[in-house]
Amino acid sequence: MSDGNPSLRSGGEPRHAGTVEIHERQEMVSRDLRTEEMVFNMGPQHPATHGVLRVVCKSDGETVRALQPHVGNIHRCVEKIGENLPYYQWLPYVDRMDYLAAICNEHVACMAIEKLGELEVPERAEYGRVIVAEVQRILSHLMAIGVYGLDLGAFTPFLHQFRERERGMDLLDHISGGRLLYHFVRIGGLKRDLSQDWLDELDAWIDTVEQRLPEYNTLLLNNRIFQERTMGIGVIDRDTAVRWGVTGPGLRAAGVNWDCRRDVPYSIYDRFDFEIPHGHSGIGGELGDCFQRHWIRVREVEESVKIIRQARAQLPEGPVMGRVPKGFRPKDAEVYFRAENPRGELAVYMIGAGKPEAYRIRCRGPSFSNIACITEVAEGMLIADLVALIGSLDIVLGEVDR
Amino acid sequence: MSDDKILHPEIDPELERSLVLTTVDWVKDWGRRNALWPMAFGLACCAMEMMATAATKYDLDRFGAGVFRASARHSDLMIVAGTLSHKMAPRLRRLYEQMPDPKYVIAMGACVVGGGPYSKYGYHVVQGVDLIVPVDIYLPGCPPRPEALIDAIRKLQYRIQQQGGATIQETQKTA
Amino acid sequence: MADNPDTAASPDPVTERALRIIEEGAPGAVTTSELTGRHPWIGVKAESLRDVAGLVRDHDDLKMECCHLISGVDWPDPKSETGGEMEVIYHLCSYAFPADEAYKQRAEKNDPWIALKVRVPRDKPEVPTVMDIWTGADWHERETYDLVGIRFTMRKELFRILLPEDWPGHPLQKDWVYPASYHGVPIIPPEGL
Repeated sequence: MSDGNPSLRSGGEPRHAGTVEIHERQEMVSRDLRTEEMVFNMGPQHPATHGVLRVVCKSDGETVRALQPHVGNIHRCVEKIGENLPYYQWLPYVDRMDYLAAICNEHVACMAIEKLGELEVPERAEYGRVIVAEVQRILSHLMAIGVYGLDLGAFTPFLHQFRERERGMDLLDHISGGRLLYHFVRIGGLKRDLSQDWLDELDAWIDTVEQRLPEYNTLLLNNRIFQERTMGIGVIDRDTAVRWGVTGPGLRAAGVNWDCRRDVPYSIYDRFDFEIPHGHSGIGGELGDCFQRHWIRVREVEESVKIIRQARAQLPEGPVMGRVPKGFRPKDAEVYFRAENPRGELAVYMIGAGKPEAYRIRCRGPSFSNIACITEVAEGMLIADLVALIGSLDIVLGEVDR
Repeated sequence: MSDDKILHPEIDPELERSLVLTTVDWVKDWGRRNALWPMAFGLACCAMEMMATAATKYDLDRFGAGVFRASARHSDLMIVAGTLSHKMAPRLRRLYEQMPDPKYVIAMGACVVGGGPYSKYGYHVVQGVDLIVPVDIYLPGCPPRPEALIDAIRKLQYRIQQQGGATIQETQKTA
Repeated sequence: MADNPDTAASPDPVTERALRIIEEGAPGAVTTSELTGRHPWIGVKAESLRDVAGLVRDHDDLKMECCHLISGVDWPDPKSETGGEMEVIYHLCSYAFPADEAYKQRAEKNDPWIALKVRVPRDKPEVPTVMDIWTGADWHERETYDLVGIRFTMRKELFRILLPEDWPGHPLQKDWVYPASYHGVPIIPPEGL
């Protein structure tokens, strides 16, 4: 074919041209033939649902008419376990909630427990926590970026990001002994001190990440095919995002300039200078679409590198473990603690009862609210775009089901 | 023709280089062993390590088991990676039944080996995937490192060659 | 991490403001409230919950437009006639005024913006829904029903979200016992066999 597909050749065609064509064709079909809506299942065993999410779709041809996500396939009873085990024994389960951001989870859970028990954390431990949490955020976003490419049919970015991710995982492996789940942040401080060798290794790694980011952007963000596949797709506007409780990149892409690290500062985040990337029309695409969510993740990696550099420069000397009383029994009180995870706001609500274990622990996994909103957003989308939408929300099912 | 020629016939050297004598069974097992197609069946945290094993650094393709299939009907190895819940158990059983014979199962991670960290208070966690499907190789760890998964696959390959490709079901039937 | 005793003892500005607005807008709705400490909250009667929720969402000085989390807590009391109480806690937040002085003061303590508590008798745990006020409350209510067994009324069908439909009981109730098996698959209770 010498002239090729006319819609591709003309270059400036709007993304929706194909959609309109399909709709017209459907109308033609329905004049002559009896058609009906079809109900089908996507998942729980489906590569694009990022785990065991099951989505029941009612479709009219290629268009989604209604859909209902079904979750709970890896409900692992974290809240019940929290009522039965002492606080320090519960921490490893928090890691397994959002298994791509284990250290961020530990950090939040530890801060909530420390607030409940009124414990002090040494300065060096606070800096160490911020450093490892930001390393984890970079790792999580790298995974999100790579796997999103995989969802949309680009295999190469996945292999490229794993090159940096493996080095980052080795970095955390060297300090904690685990590749994926670390149990490194402990109540009152850190498990181990950050050695000078490790910090040098860290410097080299963040330099590499910064250097390689433009490479990923060439493959995805600036890629014409990727842009056509994501721009204007899966728009979650401000109203929808706030009503459904969407947080994290999903909320910021909708134009809300909000990040818990800056707006409700916890730990020592108020000492660093960093930007909060949020969606606006200058990026390309529409406010709150899949493209802008992806763009925010890429920008957040850059900001995390900035935070790590500053924390690294300010890192004080001193102990990394505070005083934690033996037989730690926080008194009868409640706390609610929320913090910014790579996927959104993780919140922990805890009721202490003067015992080694809590009376009630409730966790708000950000993915839980993020995925709930697709019921409304996905109506009227094409089935192929549904994959783009679910991928751009970057859910982790371990956190949805807990 | 002398006796010597009958007992030691002259073989064309070209033929000697290009001919291998073996049994059909051995070839069959050799083929099965080196072309395992695992199903991409990630349940939880271990699935991330399974992905890492297939990706850049560990490159599972070197061992002939890197062609991850999304469909049960295309695959002959099910790596159950992650926590199996009671809600998921019937679906796992159905996927297992959809796989063509001969099929193999690796239970990856402490949760599917025996409930793992969730065995005590986790009311919704099935305490071992062997309650649902027969398991060939148990791989403990929380999560196991990619090296361990490669080792499990090597062990399975050894087993396929040693046991004439019999799956655990067939072995149990004859025993 | 420990709070300064002075700020811990002084009443929380945002909750104080919310309490004033609720008392003006929906008289008699508030039962008890706790304005100091690390977790200030306002107790609300179940029947007036929906009025209060609409009020705190729409009032220009509060704008609690996001329902961050809904939790259910079981407080059994064998001596009581109703068998104790069940409590639903709504943590609400706003993205509207990051620059407001009262919010800034609050932000330093990293607390939720406001918390509403509703207590209902344990033998009839029914709370009206807030799903039409905050859409995201849908899944949280379903989860609270699933795990704690609190029924939300006046909403579209309420069914389990995490556990299978025919699961016995609600596991986060304090007197829930582990079933012996589920569809033939054994469940080993914590105390062992």
